[in-house]
Amino acid sequence: MALDPEFKPDHGDWYCTSCDVPLQQQKVQVLYMNSAFDVILPRCPECGLTMIPESLANGKMAEVEALLEDK
Amino acid sequence: MLEGRTQSLCPVCLRLVDAAYMRTGNTVSLHKTCPEHGAFCVPIWNEKEGMPRFGTWRQRARIPAYPTHPATEIQEGCPFDCGLCPEHAQHTCTGLIEVTQRCSLRCPVCFASAERTGSDPSLTTIAQQMDALFRASGTCNIQLSGGEPTEREDIVTIIAMAAERGFGLVQLNTNGMRLGKESGYAERLRQAGLDSVYLQLDALDDEVCLALRGRHCLKEKLAAVHACQKAGLGVVLVCTLVQGINDSLLGDLLRWAVEQGPHVRGLHIQPVSSFGRFPWDLKNAPRITLPDIMTSLEKQSAGMVHASDFHPPSCEHALCSFSAVYTRTQEGLSSPLGSSCCSGGSNMTSAAVDNAEGSRISRAFTATHWRAPSAHAQKENQPASAVQDAFSRFLAQSGAAQRFTLSAMAFQDAVTLDVERVRGCCIHVVARDGRLIPFCAYNLTSLEGVSLYRSQA
Repeated sequence: MALDPEFKPDHGDWYCTSCDVPLQQQKVQVLYMNSAFDVILPRCPECGLTMIPESLANGKMAEVEALLEDK
Repeated sequence: MLEGRTQSLCPVCLRLVDAAYMRTGNTVSLHKTCPEHGAFCVPIWNEKEGMPRFGTWRQRARIPAYPTHPATEIQEGCPFDCGLCPEHAQHTCTGLIEVTQRCSLRCPVCFASAERTGSDPSLTTIAQQMDALFRASGTCNIQLSGGEPTEREDIVTIIAMAAERGFGLVQLNTNGMRLGKESGYAERLRQAGLDSVYLQLDALDDEVCLALRGRHCLKEKLAAVHACQKAGLGVVLVCTLVQGINDSLLGDLLRWAVEQGPHVRGLHIQPVSSFGRFPWDLKNAPRITLPDIMTSLEKQSAGMVHASDFHPPSCEHALCSFSAVYTRTQEGLSSPLGSSCCSGGSNMTSAAVDNAEGSRISRAFTATHWRAPSAHAQKENQPASAVQDAFSRFLAQSGAAQRFTLSAMAFQDAVTLDVERVRGCCIHVVARDGRLIPFCAYNLTSLEGVSLYRSQA
């Protein structure tokens, strides 16, 4: 399977302030309501803190969330 | 065996009485006694083999969501102070406005007791009702109901009034006669801002139409479905289910609904309620409980749906409805989405349901799934293999365009009423004075035909 496209920060270079290291693009698993999504997101290599770019949060991720939430 | 306690009304004098859910064998019934009019008992849950257990289904804890700005004070207690009162435990998912009392049909069964002639509220009154709904419930969904709304020539204006206020979903509750007969009418309604048609269709059998609607009208109803499809309107088929009349025809209706393609958004089943006009004695009314419907759907759908697919609602009271969401496939329907998740199934007793969150989800779900698939959603219909990231793949495979919702809602009449269910109701009729009244309380009539709210509202 082709490598999943990366979701990079909308702008700028981001650091983890706790660990003082730059975020790296890493494969993470996003879980919501028993569904799992493997995507590549900016992540702190030390503590694992993951950033979700605003465009993704307000875009595809919001759409997916709405579809998973059942009546 | 005692399964739970609540309060209800005496169906004769409508006074508040204590009530209990009692199990006899596989049936749970609501029992109550009025000091003046005696004892009443009605089956609520026929727990056939493989069906969900009453206790498990009902007893999930809820965190109430009270009105931010209650319109009435507590004086006599639930269900006599509706407006909403400060103790009402659920926000509005859908607000109903009855735009006319007139109807082109005179169905033997009609909760609104609509007639061929009658009065219509003015556009000014309707605007005030819409504003009252928006003040109380914000961008909830709105349903224009009646009577038959398309009897009004200015329904296009009313739809536009609702659309411009920004309600989440503008829906029309209709018998489909005019949509089926008048060329271009569905397009006019769509252009005015209508999103969804709540189309009454009981079975694909004209004799059922005759029995429940008073005349043969299947041809017009099917033409209405096609007209809505052509106009780009989402359609929810609404089936009134009556024992011995159309309860054996559910499977055919479900298959047909699925075959119609993405504009038919779902099938919603309503076991007939005995309020308004109905042709039987209320005490001996035909009763179909929610698990009876689950059983019929499973048996009649030849494996397309299963009782285990269904889960209790996140918004209204658990005893009021069930639903499942499927994805359409070439063969029919896929396994339901979320069937193993926390919205229902075996995990449903775990966490307490936050009513405010349940209301938000249900409102958004209805607005997304009961309108026609958007141009954007249609674009997502490209082959899944062509899309690379996991979110896009999910949207392509399970997007709203391919969804089909199957649901049922049991209304309450003077015999079945449970005050706890009224308090948890999220479908509110907007009275002409702007009060919001839970649907069943609004329509409830006593054995003697006395209305709790409708005649005074």
